[in-house]
Amino acid sequence: MNVELQREHLLDESEWEPSALVMKLASDHTSAVPSLGAERAIHYTEYYKRNTETSAAMTKAGALAWHLQQRTLNIHEDELIVGSHTEHRIGAICHVELAGYAMLEDLFRFEKRKVNPLHVDPAAKRKLMRSVIPYWLTRNLAMKAFPLRERMKYLASQSKAKEFTINEAGGIAHFLPDYGTIITLGTEGLRALIDTRLSDPGLSESQREQLAANLIALGALETFADRYRDLAQEQGRADVVELLTNVPRQPASSLHEAVQMIWFFQMVIQIESIDQGISLGRMDQYLYPLYLREKASGRFDERHFKDVFCAFCLKLSEVIPLFSERITPMFSGLPNGQALTIGGCDSDGNDASNELTFMLLDVLDKFKTRQPNWHARLSSKSRVDYSQRVFEVIAGGGGSPALYNDDVIIPSLASRFDAKQHLWNYATVGCVEPALSGISFSSTDAAIFNYALVLETVLLRDVLKPRSKNAKSICTMDELIGAIESELRCQVGRLKTWLDGIERANKDRHPVPFSSMTVKGCIERARDLTDGGADYNASGIQAVGLADLGNSLAAIDTLVFDSKEMTLETLALACKNNFAQEPSLKARLTAMAKFGNDDARVDNYTGQMVTLFDQVISEKVNTRGGRWMPGVYSMTCHQTMGKQMSALPSGRSKGEPLADGIAPTDGSDCLGPTAALNSVARLDHSRLANGINLNLKFDANTVKGTKGPLLLGGLTKGYFTQGGMQVQINVLDPAVLMAARMTPEKYRNLLVRVSGYSAYFVDLTPEMQDEIIARTRQGAG
Amino acid sequence: MRQLSAPIFDIQRFSIHDGPGIRTLVFFKGCNLHCAWCQNPESQDVEPLVAFYADRCNGSFDCLKACPQDAINRDGFRINHTKCDNCLACVEACSRSALRPIGEHMSPEHLFATLVADLPYYRSSGGGVTFSGGEPTLYPKFIDQMLDLCNDEGIHTAMETCGTYSPDRWAPILKKLDLVYFDLKIIDREQHKAATGRDNSQILANARLLVETGIPVEFRLPLVEGYTDDRENLQDTADFLKALNQNRLHLLSYHNMGETKIDIINGSQNKLGLKTYDATRFAQIREWFTERNIEICDE
Repeated sequence: MNVELQREHLLDESEWEPSALVMKLASDHTSAVPSLGAERAIHYTEYYKRNTETSAAMTKAGALAWHLQQRTLNIHEDELIVGSHTEHRIGAICHVELAGYAMLEDLFRFEKRKVNPLHVDPAAKRKLMRSVIPYWLTRNLAMKAFPLRERMKYLASQSKAKEFTINEAGGIAHFLPDYGTIITLGTEGLRALIDTRLSDPGLSESQREQLAANLIALGALETFADRYRDLAQEQGRADVVELLTNVPRQPASSLHEAVQMIWFFQMVIQIESIDQGISLGRMDQYLYPLYLREKASGRFDERHFKDVFCAFCLKLSEVIPLFSERITPMFSGLPNGQALTIGGCDSDGNDASNELTFMLLDVLDKFKTRQPNWHARLSSKSRVDYSQRVFEVIAGGGGSPALYNDDVIIPSLASRFDAKQHLWNYATVGCVEPALSGISFSSTDAAIFNYALVLETVLLRDVLKPRSKNAKSICTMDELIGAIESELRCQVGRLKTWLDGIERANKDRHPVPFSSMTVKGCIERARDLTDGGADYNASGIQAVGLADLGNSLAAIDTLVFDSKEMTLETLALACKNNFAQEPSLKARLTAMAKFGNDDARVDNYTGQMVTLFDQVISEKVNTRGGRWMPGVYSMTCHQTMGKQMSALPSGRSKGEPLADGIAPTDGSDCLGPTAALNSVARLDHSRLANGINLNLKFDANTVKGTKGPLLLGGLTKGYFTQGGMQVQINVLDPAVLMAARMTPEKYRNLLVRVSGYSAYFVDLTPEMQDEIIARTRQGAG
Repeated sequence: MRQLSAPIFDIQRFSIHDGPGIRTLVFFKGCNLHCAWCQNPESQDVEPLVAFYADRCNGSFDCLKACPQDAINRDGFRINHTKCDNCLACVEACSRSALRPIGEHMSPEHLFATLVADLPYYRSSGGGVTFSGGEPTLYPKFIDQMLDLCNDEGIHTAMETCGTYSPDRWAPILKKLDLVYFDLKIIDREQHKAATGRDNSQILANARLLVETGIPVEFRLPLVEGYTDDRENLQDTADFLKALNQNRLHLLSYHNMGETKIDIINGSQNKLGLKTYDATRFAQIREWFTERNIEICDE
């Protein structure tokens, strides 16, 4: 479709503010107490205890239906979009048969804990204690995935998550439901598809069972929606009754209905399996035909649509993940990863931004909510007014949208998937991962792997304690990299064994008959998402500690192999002892060239580690027949993994965090953002098809005024033309500057505007720092 | 023949306030004015030197052991700048980064390699390179070569000057620049001499000549309490601009961060004890110029 963008019909962005009604919804939302949604765990347990179904798919569908039949419902005052994914307004659901079981270790602490406290209803707590926890003690996913000895090893390893963390053990998540198709079908349309498949005499028994389970799950959603409509009727909410007359059964006839239908599916998918990275895809694109229809018939009301979208963003923000205190440091900040993609290109490669794109950007600009994760696609062909608006919104603060470079991502996906006709329509999943919209199960967050630990193992074990007397000592850089490669293969092999086990356990015990209907291929093949039903499959494996590796290799090369100042044993021993006897060695290592300063030598070592990771990861194939894909992001695992590691030749001390995503290590990039971006862009991002995460930080004063968006745009485009894949730009609030005052060494790269120029915050006197903080308060306030 | 070089004391990439777009700012070392309020005291001398940050020192005296010139003082300021030959052995020896070199002689090619690394950002933002200081016009031959290198790559160029250069020597070089920032400090000749150590007739003549030859120029006035912000000087500045048909001016606020830098180089500059320029007074002056039809450009 090639429709001329007609922005002149829209409100000027300065004209629109969220309505009083929506602001009231937001304040009601904020005052709601985040609570543990225990009903799912209780209902599922009831169902499982008396379950007689033979197949896992039927059991899961039955449990879902049982739960949705009796889940406590609420419709809150003035809501434009209805439905909550738990019995509470803001709730953390407990998928007790999956990793939710392990989170209940906090049952008696949820309310008291300092970070993200959760209210737990006393009656629910009693039920969880008496019937739910005892039942799942021996039946949860981790217990069933492995035989006893393996299981003990697995549990011990995953409780620390030092080597890697297997996120797929939490359940089936991180994919893009085909919402564009779903809103044109409704549940009736989906049922028709399934019925057609069922009429195929060639189906096997298990295929028939799979489709039967799909139908039960579909019915479960319909019942859930009917119950909301009945409640609305009872409450005299004629508007809601009307909204729910058509959807979810029939195709959406308006934008409002489409958004409500998407929310029903979004809720049930997140109820069925873990609520992580269920992504919304390209909403400005797949809603566009409905917009054109509304506009043509004269029904389109921009203010109403934006209000509906604000209400939708609040709904997405009602979903909070259930993490125990032990898990929180790995994924802090309550991430759900409901990614929403805007912009990008059409099937001919031309810019596809439209009026809805601009309206959604207005919503993001004026109505900031914790969810969704806003992602904007850009390319060398992007319309100027679109990219300009994107950078205006970013300069306004909040760090959104994150930016994705089509010119790198599309070729990168092309090298992974034989899917030429679908690449243009990619969207992002979860935090940063590009995937094929509605047709793939890329399980993009399958595992997060501690890459830096590979070097630690080589140094502390192979160098200091060779396993055999004949072990060849490492005398050249090539031999060191060879040793890293063989250790990497070994650790990745271990990850593969366990991840395969988890994948099989999910397939055998926890299929997702509801979610499977939302991804193309599963109904046609009558196979579950967990069983390779999707048209395209993959598993995303992220590396952590890339910059630490590059920095360490450069230091080893300089001191050990080049100048021969010390042996590798001496350096390894110093690392083992955390430089206790050699503070000057630590200082020297710290002062050596670091990734992030546009230094080709260090950058190339870092790049070599990217290549190696890609080679080792990409040769693996998951149990669904999809290849593994490497990515570089760390959530907050760079802290938890770093905490458990010894010192490294980069000069990083024992226990310090590793580098965040693909960024330079904290405080090591001293030449400003252009140099840091040049270093990052020197890596081959096309190898990292599962995505990268790069955070850039600016203080509000640096990017204020009309020049701000131009600078951010210039910086991003300069980086993207050099092969940068992704960047997220944060405009800082004073709290961050306060933190920088307390721990300046962590904020070496923080630029602030002083007076007519910018300076590194840490280079300012304490007085000047205070002045800047006070000024930023004004700027941000 | 000796290789052409110039002392550079800082290169600031992603500079966003000294010309359009994203720029790299090159600070040349050495200045022929000695302004009482100088905010970069470390830039005044041409020769590179080692600075000492007393608050970072842990008293290990690793520097003393490393120094081949016996130029480390046990008491008082750490470096004896008379003995020091700038070999930087002490800098390398210091585990606390308490010693830091200020200034490095660079060749045009060496400097250009750093500048060109940000070419994608200059292009994407309409930015470029700005030569600053110190006083960049102390290095005509060097800058001339830098401008040729930049112009060959299509890089936008700007220079910040106090205006003390020889007009004949600089006439052909100035033509190669896309933009000149020209500091007007004090118009009154005697007061200028008292505050900066130098007569300003050359400066004012150069300003006139620059406007006459049609080279794009932006005038700047640093606001320093008690030195440049009295009514007479503001009036003189306005009159001077009017006489040149100029109706734009950049105001720069004084900040006292330079004073801490006097200590790190053991400099002789007197501390003025002034605070960062008062925001209200700044606004009043902006208003005053605006009423006289001189547009104040935001920095």
